[in-house]
Amino acid sequence: MRKIVSVLIVLIVFTAVVFAGGKRGEATGMAAAEERKLEIFHWWVGPGEREAADEWFKALHAKYPEVEVIENPVAGGGGVSHRVVLQSRLSAGLPPDTFQALGGAELKAYVDGNYLLPLDDLWTELNYRKVIPGPLANTFIFNGHPYGIPLNMHIQNIMYYNKNLFDELGLTEPKNFDELITVAAAIKKAKPDMYPLGLGTKEKWEAAFVLDAIILGEGGPEYYVKLFKGEIDVTKDKIFRTALEKLAKLKAYTYPYHANLTWDQSVSLVVAGDAAMVTMGTWAIGAFLNNKWTPGEDFGALTFPQGKERYLLFHADSFILPKNAPHPGTTMDFLRVTASPELQIPCDVVQGGLVARIDIDPKVFPDPIRQEMQAYIRDNPTKLILDQHGSIAPASFSSEYWAAIAGFMGEDRPDIDKTLAQIGTLFTTYEVKKDAAWYVWP
Amino acid sequence: MRLSLILTDSQECFTFLWPCVKMHYTQNGIVVVRRKKTVRSKYTFIEFLIFKFPLMFFVGLLYGMLGWTIVVSFTNWHGTAPNYDFAGFKWYRLMITLDRFHVDVANNLKWLSLGVIPTVILALFIAYLLELGSFRRLESYIRTLILYPVAMSFIVTGTIWSWMLDPDKGVFNTILRGVGLDFLQGRFTTNPSTATYWLILIFVWQYLGFSVIILQSSLRTAELREMTESALIDGASRLRILLQIIIPNIRSGLLILISLLLISTLKVFDIVYIVTFGGPGTATDVLAFYMLLATFQQHLVSLGAGIGVVIFLLAASIVIPYTIYAFKKWFD
Repeated sequence: MRKIVSVLIVLIVFTAVVFAGGKRGEATGMAAAEERKLEIFHWWVGPGEREAADEWFKALHAKYPEVEVIENPVAGGGGVSHRVVLQSRLSAGLPPDTFQALGGAELKAYVDGNYLLPLDDLWTELNYRKVIPGPLANTFIFNGHPYGIPLNMHIQNIMYYNKNLFDELGLTEPKNFDELITVAAAIKKAKPDMYPLGLGTKEKWEAAFVLDAIILGEGGPEYYVKLFKGEIDVTKDKIFRTALEKLAKLKAYTYPYHANLTWDQSVSLVVAGDAAMVTMGTWAIGAFLNNKWTPGEDFGALTFPQGKERYLLFHADSFILPKNAPHPGTTMDFLRVTASPELQIPCDVVQGGLVARIDIDPKVFPDPIRQEMQAYIRDNPTKLILDQHGSIAPASFSSEYWAAIAGFMGEDRPDIDKTLAQIGTLFTTYEVKKDAAWYVWP
Repeated sequence: MRLSLILTDSQECFTFLWPCVKMHYTQNGIVVVRRKKTVRSKYTFIEFLIFKFPLMFFVGLLYGMLGWTIVVSFTNWHGTAPNYDFAGFKWYRLMITLDRFHVDVANNLKWLSLGVIPTVILALFIAYLLELGSFRRLESYIRTLILYPVAMSFIVTGTIWSWMLDPDKGVFNTILRGVGLDFLQGRFTTNPSTATYWLILIFVWQYLGFSVIILQSSLRTAELREMTESALIDGASRLRILLQIIIPNIRSGLLILISLLLISTLKVFDIVYIVTFGGPGTATDVLAFYMLLATFQQHLVSLGAGIGVVIFLLAASIVIPYTIYAFKKWFD
């Protein structure tokens, strides 16, 4: 009897504690006078990124000095470490005030999970649809409602190269795959100790960047979009097969131990003189700057490939407003700051992206590389294509696709038929056609 | 010595919890099992709070989580929001069609065999050497040396080893190049067909000191020391002493060690995460790492839960029969 009573008491106390916790959460959400606090989840902790994240809070405090910022930074570039924490908080019904999310498929996952509030009023208030490029805005609009405020654009298909070396050997920057192979062969001949193309595939997504550029060159932009919307049967498709064959060909000129390196280490290969070129997104500029390399002098960069027409693959970071955020008012203020040039300019200049707003003068960038790209986008906004990096196809597909391409690059004798079959299965298993149908280009 | 396992019920554990197996180990490794008389326990409320509630809480939490994982693996939770619609064996059926799952199971079996057997054999030799070898004075230094890896976390040792194993700038290849043995240079963890073995090597290195300590403690009984000393006086060779006296007499130590190593290799995650992140491609992927990726990267929560259940079943199907077998063989 006594035992039953004590068990009952413990259970009652326990339930009361749990219940009280729930009540408390609701009460703060609806409090009339909200505390000026902002709990924020982001993944900018790397070199160049940390400094950029500080610029957010500088910009926020310039306008709202009273806001207390509670940071929960988790390393991992939209990768798994960030999601472990975020997913547990969201499914437990305890969202932070805001978190970093990539536009496109990643944002869609949270919208589909019914975790986010639409920001129609804020977009109207800021006239945001008019000040950012159309293709960028489209990756934040689901079921007709905008979610999230993009703060930058990352261009993915860029070839960085050691400018001094290219001058020394009298090489011109490669604009397509054939020129790349020619240049790589010339470098290998002149500098046997150097690997023409640097690469790091530890985090898996990096190898897919190289293939992306080849696919874009081989099939053009419409093909690229159709492919990652799951509308192409890769097992029977000539273009995709050719792209993989070209990737295998490029492997001979690529740093062979790439499985050990992360993306920033692959950039360091170029800085250290172990590699001559590297394919990476705009964020590599931050890593080069960190190594005291001057853009336009020590290293050059060009969007790769480029023919008569030039397309830029992009994805964008954003901040969002979760349902039941404890401090929604403060979050809205932060989102207003996020949309402003006062935040975007200092943050994006430091971190190495482009600014989301095209009404900002491209001259704010210190390097000619980004000045040129930002001006190109301002004048040709329709040349932007959302990339596959967590953005067109669902995450269930992307993660396995990256591993397949990284594995392909890691094999001694890459098996094209096997990889084609493998990727074909991924497209059907993870229902890419259904889940990527939302994306319309341009 | 006969062994009988007795499942006690309500006395030490609550009746609604898992029945407990009660065992008492005596020092020389002989198991004595007592059957407790059924006496109604008279716990006061305070005693209950101190002794029983924490146990209840932990066991409840543990089995609660386990049960919950099994439940989720039969639901249709994919995407960020929970979805508890019953999906039957959908995710298990998907799982067995995935190439990655087959790679993982094969890798886990490699870990299981190559992580345990060499560690135990090496530890046995080292423990024996330290106890009976001729360099007793050096023993404490050597023991400290081999114990170092145990004191470090996998994050640290994994990082150090990945620096040493780097084929381009790593210690091993640099030394080999330095002494002109270029042809011996390895690709280590960047070669998909051998990468897992290099990871297992790190595990063996890390667990060796720990294993030596466990075996040493069971070597250090007065009876065993007397037996070996008299065998030495009688002129038995050291190898014969090891095989015929030491091993049969440290069965309990070996049993515990092998069980612990089996469990550690089954749930291996950190070394893979730190050193290769599953790469090249998925060559060094293991079930625990894939479980994380499936759940949080791919947002396939039910699939992740299913992989968790597979790990649990693997552990149960390997560790439980092993323990029963070992008990029967050694204590009958």
